[in-house]
Amino acid sequence: MLKFLTTLFPTGDFALLALVLGMPLLGAIVNGIWGQRLGKKAVKTMALSAMGIAFAGAVVTFLVLDRESSQHPGHHVKLSWLAWQWMRTTGAREMTVPIELKFSVDALSGVMMLVITGVGFLIHLYASSYMENDKAYWRFFAYLNLFVFSMLVLVLGDNLPVLFVGWEGVGLCSYLLIGFWYQHGPNAQAGKKAFVANRIGDFGLLCGMFLLVHYTGALDWSGIEQGSGSLVSQADQMQVHLWPIGGGQFQGFLAFLQPKTPLVITGATAVGLMLFLGCTGKSAQIPLYVWLPDAMAGPTPVSALIHAATMVTAGIYLVCRLSFVFVLSPFTMAVIAFTGAFTALFAATIALVQNDLKKVLAYSTVSQLGYMFLGVGVGAFTAGFFHVFTHAFFKACLFLGAGSVIHAMHARIHDDVKSQDMRNMGGLRKYMPYTFWTFGAATLAIIGFPLTSGFFSKDEILFKAFVNHPVNPAAAHMGAKAAEKLWQQPTWIGPVLWAMGLATAVLTAFYMSRAFILTFFGDFKGWTIGKAPASEHHDHDDHGDHGDDDDHHHEEDLKVPGAAPHESPWQMTVPLMILATLSLAGGFLNPGLFAGLFKDHKPPMEHWLEPVFEEAEKAIQVLPNAEAAHHKEYPLTAAAFAAFAVGTFVAYQFYIAKKGQPAKDMAEKAPGLHKLLVDKWRVDELYDATVWNGVDALADTAISVDQSFFDAIIARLTALVVAALGTVLRVFQNGVVHVYAGAMALGIVLIGWFVVVPRADVSTRATGNGDYVLEAAPGMGYGYRWTPEASGKPQDDKFSPASTQLKVHLDADKTQTVKLEVKNAFGFQASREVTLKGPTSEKPEKLGSVDLPSDNLGKN
Amino acid sequence: MTTNSYVLLSAILFTIGGIGFLVRRNVLVTLMSIEVMLNAVNVALVAFNRSMPKAHTGQLFAFFLIAAEAAEVAVGLAIVISIFRLRRSVRTDEADLLKN
Repeated sequence: MLKFLTTLFPTGDFALLALVLGMPLLGAIVNGIWGQRLGKKAVKTMALSAMGIAFAGAVVTFLVLDRESSQHPGHHVKLSWLAWQWMRTTGAREMTVPIELKFSVDALSGVMMLVITGVGFLIHLYASSYMENDKAYWRFFAYLNLFVFSMLVLVLGDNLPVLFVGWEGVGLCSYLLIGFWYQHGPNAQAGKKAFVANRIGDFGLLCGMFLLVHYTGALDWSGIEQGSGSLVSQADQMQVHLWPIGGGQFQGFLAFLQPKTPLVITGATAVGLMLFLGCTGKSAQIPLYVWLPDAMAGPTPVSALIHAATMVTAGIYLVCRLSFVFVLSPFTMAVIAFTGAFTALFAATIALVQNDLKKVLAYSTVSQLGYMFLGVGVGAFTAGFFHVFTHAFFKACLFLGAGSVIHAMHARIHDDVKSQDMRNMGGLRKYMPYTFWTFGAATLAIIGFPLTSGFFSKDEILFKAFVNHPVNPAAAHMGAKAAEKLWQQPTWIGPVLWAMGLATAVLTAFYMSRAFILTFFGDFKGWTIGKAPASEHHDHDDHGDHGDDDDHHHEEDLKVPGAAPHESPWQMTVPLMILATLSLAGGFLNPGLFAGLFKDHKPPMEHWLEPVFEEAEKAIQVLPNAEAAHHKEYPLTAAAFAAFAVGTFVAYQFYIAKKGQPAKDMAEKAPGLHKLLVDKWRVDELYDATVWNGVDALADTAISVDQSFFDAIIARLTALVVAALGTVLRVFQNGVVHVYAGAMALGIVLIGWFVVVPRADVSTRATGNGDYVLEAAPGMGYGYRWTPEASGKPQDDKFSPASTQLKVHLDADKTQTVKLEVKNAFGFQASREVTLKGPTSEKPEKLGSVDLPSDNLGKN
Repeated sequence: MTTNSYVLLSAILFTIGGIGFLVRRNVLVTLMSIEVMLNAVNVALVAFNRSMPKAHTGQLFAFFLIAAEAAEVAVGLAIVISIFRLRRSVRTDEADLLKN
């Protein structure tokens, strides 16, 4: 079967990718255009079957890929499909760079493709029930399918421009889905915020692309890899000059700005930082993370698919994809690692005190994304990517579980904010066992309970952060003395990053346990704030998130006990169970701890991804050496386990043993800090005060310039001139027929004058060497007669219409007067005389410079 | 009589018509002035035709012009009547509806 497939689709023209890509697009088009008329059932069938077929295609592709790579061990096997030539651009040394609409799948994108279609299918299934009662059911699924298509384009694109198309596509879908319930103001606002933050990142990505074309002369992955040598060039003209900008020199009174040694960075650093700016936007890292928590305004399946499992990992995917570029600059690697570690810690502190269940998960996503960047930033690409993989399962499961909880809470509380507040939950374990167990499993995974998927992936990242040390690969190619000048990472970086990661692990264990405990343990607090629905046994399914609320927001009596929360239908619980299973078991694909059990000491995932990261990992040293590092693995794992244990135990003490009393006490003891954390370190406010106000001030300036200069002077003045002219012209427009007739008669007389009276006009052209061509201006029925010497005889007695030109040769320093006579059809005559000056004779000192003869011409 | 005399007559008639058109305010007189101008053109056409006896172009044009004049007078009088109904006057300087 597979053999048949490989003959049908050769590796160079693997058209099966078109099916994987095309099905979600088809679903989006069908649902987007006809969805409203098709009805819910058809929309659901279309969306789900599109995703199902795409997933099946992805699995087959993956199997073919597996077969190919097992036949060519050690090779970077790639299945590619060229759709069509897109455009051309110019790269390094004026070379033409073709940009093709080409898709390819290799080990890295293969895994991503499986996750996107697989998790995507489960979330579609979940959403088909969750969104059941939304009026814009069809719109939701059209967007969701379009998102999956864009994400696949992003992952499968064989070059940066195609990736960028997908990158923008997912940004657009994210915007559309965050603001899905756009009738509610803040949701639309959140969508805009996400879009703008992403645009800032996209600017970086675009700059990175331009730089890559400039340096490597290619935009496809293999081309970039081949041309990446020039990125590390130390030659002055090959580096990016930051100060003075562009490598100039400050002169005159600006000379004090000139530094002793110009501030330059290599092309690799510039490209890396620019691409990473793009990643911070898409993957919600400091400083562009602010959009992700707000993005929770979208429906919960969207949060699960886009803002947890797939889209936000695009940044990590890009770093992994271009790992061989990033490792060329240890500085960029350090920036990535520190940004990741700091974001992880920062977001975790905010998550400690949030009360909104989805907000906790949102900040935990930011934190986990930071973890992934920490991993790839220290050169542990496999570990970082593996965390993408496991995170997709457990975070999707957590979000879907949260959605299930919210769905249940809606049975009692018809308010979006209150139904997500953990203070109104508690004790849900009794009412929704499936959700409880699956949410629990995913929580165990994220806090790093031993042998769950999160345990392995996080442990690997922490271990690698401690021992890995990216070095500048350029050092190997130059002399020892020159190499000393290169910037290398100091050795203390590893342990510092590890410590930050470990602190994050403690916080993660605490806040996730807190969320889990507050939601599912204790007594259900919703009794006192919910109300019994009108009918005793309520049709539960009309309580999905709703934006187009019709009858929900009536005044509620929140005291009377009512219907209990309930378990969600099978479409929602089945995906939960599948994802929970994967969260628990997925780690065994890459248990770094038990590497010894596998062939070559390489767990399946590492073995699978090895060819992709082979090039990049050459630049990663292990400190102090491989043997010693190996011995550190168990102590470091023990530390990670301790982090988990401490965090979970403290959460247990706080929220189960003492019923939340210590948390309240601490909040009272340090009200300032607590308030700061609840307000999310007031970063949004900081941005308001700086960026927002800055833009506002700029806009105000623009307005005042516009109003006082453009509007006041240019626009009004123009209007005034036109009005004045109009006033003059109005005098003639007096409505008296005689005046009009008189004007007409006058016009006829003037035209007659023009026809009857001849005009003689000459234009002179010097053709060099004292030669001149005189040309008479044309006229109706004109005949011409030339007199080369005005005092002499005319050339011809008769006037000829043909002789419009006269050629004259003049010696140096001579002048001559030429006379032209014109006779028109009425027999009237006119004449004109033109004096020509010959070229000035050349003076010795001006040898070689030729005066423009036309300057010497005189007319009379 | 030479052609020149006819053309001169035509020119005099045309000038009289033109001045009459520009000077007089009565619509009926204006119309009549237009008639005089058109007939001056007719005279010129016929006179030119005389100097080219074989061709009949000038005469034919004259006939066309007479037909056009008839139509013009019909339309012109209709306009005059409607102006009179509107303004109770046949003076051109009072027919200034276009003014404002």
